[in-house]
Amino acid sequence: MTTTTSARQDITAAALAVQDVTVRFAGLTALDAVSFTVEPGSVHAVIGPNGAGKSTCFNVLSGVYRAASGHVRLGDTELTGLPPHAIADLGVARTFQNLALPPHATVADSLLLGRHRLTRSGFLATGLRLPSAVREERRHRERVREIAEFIGLEGQLERPAGSLPYGQQKLVELGRALCMEPKVLLLDEPIAGMTADERRRTAAVVADVRDSLGISIVMVEHDMGVVMRLADAVTVLDFGRRIAGGTPAEVQNDPAVVQAYLGAPQ
Amino acid sequence: MSDTTAEAPAETPAVTASVHGGGPESLTDRLRSPRTYAVLVGSLLLLALPFYLDRFWLQAGLFAMAAAIGAIGLNMLTGATGQLSMGHAFFLAVGAYGYCVLAGESSTENGHTLTGLGLPTWLAAILAVLLAGAAGGIFSPIAGRLRGAYLGIATLALIFIGQHVLFNAGSLTGGYNGRAVPPLSVFGFTFDDSELIVAAVPFGSSEKLWYAGLLALLLSALFARGVLRGRPGRAMNAIRDHRIAAGVMGVPVARYRAGVFVLSSMYAGLAGVLLALVFQRTVPEYFGMILSLEYLAMIVIGGLGSVAGAVIGAAFVSLLPQVFTHYSDSLPLVSAPGTGGLAPGEASRYLYGAAVVAVVLFLPGGLARLGLARTKKPQAPKNPAVPKQPAAPKNPGEKS
Repeated sequence: MTTTTSARQDITAAALAVQDVTVRFAGLTALDAVSFTVEPGSVHAVIGPNGAGKSTCFNVLSGVYRAASGHVRLGDTELTGLPPHAIADLGVARTFQNLALPPHATVADSLLLGRHRLTRSGFLATGLRLPSAVREERRHRERVREIAEFIGLEGQLERPAGSLPYGQQKLVELGRALCMEPKVLLLDEPIAGMTADERRRTAAVVADVRDSLGISIVMVEHDMGVVMRLADAVTVLDFGRRIAGGTPAEVQNDPAVVQAYLGAPQ
Repeated sequence: MSDTTAEAPAETPAVTASVHGGGPESLTDRLRSPRTYAVLVGSLLLLALPFYLDRFWLQAGLFAMAAAIGAIGLNMLTGATGQLSMGHAFFLAVGAYGYCVLAGESSTENGHTLTGLGLPTWLAAILAVLLAGAAGGIFSPIAGRLRGAYLGIATLALIFIGQHVLFNAGSLTGGYNGRAVPPLSVFGFTFDDSELIVAAVPFGSSEKLWYAGLLALLLSALFARGVLRGRPGRAMNAIRDHRIAAGVMGVPVARYRAGVFVLSSMYAGLAGVLLALVFQRTVPEYFGMILSLEYLAMIVIGGLGSVAGAVIGAAFVSLLPQVFTHYSDSLPLVSAPGTGGLAPGEASRYLYGAAVVAVVLFLPGGLARLGLARTKKPQAPKNPAVPKQPAAPKNPGEKS
């Protein structure tokens, strides 16, 4: 995992800036002029009660939804309006809150899908089994194995993803996103539904990704213990608005946040 | 890394499988696998058949081969990518008629003045496949934008346009009566009925075409397998299973849908060329909606998304009615046609329908699952479930 780190470190140094992003669904404003900046190489948590617009925010960042107004920029590159695959090509990877893994494909094949943007073989090359395609496949399968070791799934590579326990399936999704060699990683509730043991391991992997690979991470998570421990910065959303932001300690004591979660004091 | 793949033969214990290392499947592994011998015996049998079967069965076999090629193409589109197509018959027609027009000579037949370019037949066959691909390419902007059942409805239009053109563009298609198909000729060897005696067996067009068909099927199957198991196949499955996730993973969804559509229409074109060569005459009504539905039935019955499923399904759908019809006289409860009872032809159709329903009901994964289940079962103990961690109780429903 460390071989390409130094090469990637310098291109990683691009901040993900969200500026006044507004999203509307037929009269409902899901995001209302939300702004925040994810510093390079940091873990940025986006929290808020259910329906606050966290997943909408992720869908805008990854190009699934188009913002009605506002901008998303990665370094100098404008992401707003790009289709999802073009955003992925720029090195933005994400996982999904509800698993998006084909249940019958092996873990290795699921991870290899993450290599799609880094590989080139098309219909002709794979159909004719050209040497270039065979070489490419072998090289990337090796890399997939390394990444599987990094997240602790090397023993499960040949099993169908659907046969793994839920927590490990979420790890496979994380691994698939890592296989894209991203600059920015968007994690949508990475530890929800996991056992205590799996939570610990996943949190360690996330910390490791930031520390050893220097990848910026944006994370939606409900587990406040993990958010407070991992996050370098926190943005709090409520009803589509950004109501607070700062370090975990600052946010924790912000009266607006307490009110959003627990309601106004009587 | 693939040394311990699930494909290692059943009786090889996990330890030796990992020791063998090296290639995807080492030679000793292959020699021990019963599958290798099954494939060997099967291919020898297929090669020997023209020496024993009469023309009727050879033609039935050739239809099955052509159907298999077309079904492989449709399975890449519908089975692997999740894009429904009702227009497969149209591309079969483009291949079949394209070959006739490119290879045929200009002539007058049944009152139609037929146009033909008179190209060498092997070149015409290749160009006909490319022509079908080009026809798919013209439709591909639509195929790229529509998903699943919506594409199915849109491709219905192709059938209607196709039928209209086939019946009315008389100078190209010969109208209602169709046009004769010039026999294929490769390097001076002509696949026609000129007598050729091989080992005391007279070889006519069916016998000769048999080998051409086998070769075409083998090459198409290998190509499709390479595509499905490689990078494009993974992207296609991702589009089928999780379209949004596929885009986020960097797969240009519309471009892939369009590309698969073109590829599948080229397979249909090749199937059309082979069908035309076997029929020796192309008629327009054959390329109707029923044909498209038959191809969909093939891939559903055989198994969606795999090459083997397409081939098995094609054999089932195209051979079973022939078998039933051929032996319908000996079916129980049938009476001679015209005597008011159940005619043999009808009985065979009922039986065929019942077989289709039975397969769909009891083998939801298709006929290909049958063979798969048998070879995979003994392997179950080979994968010790979740080796490292103690299997912690999980609670997947905690948050959804």
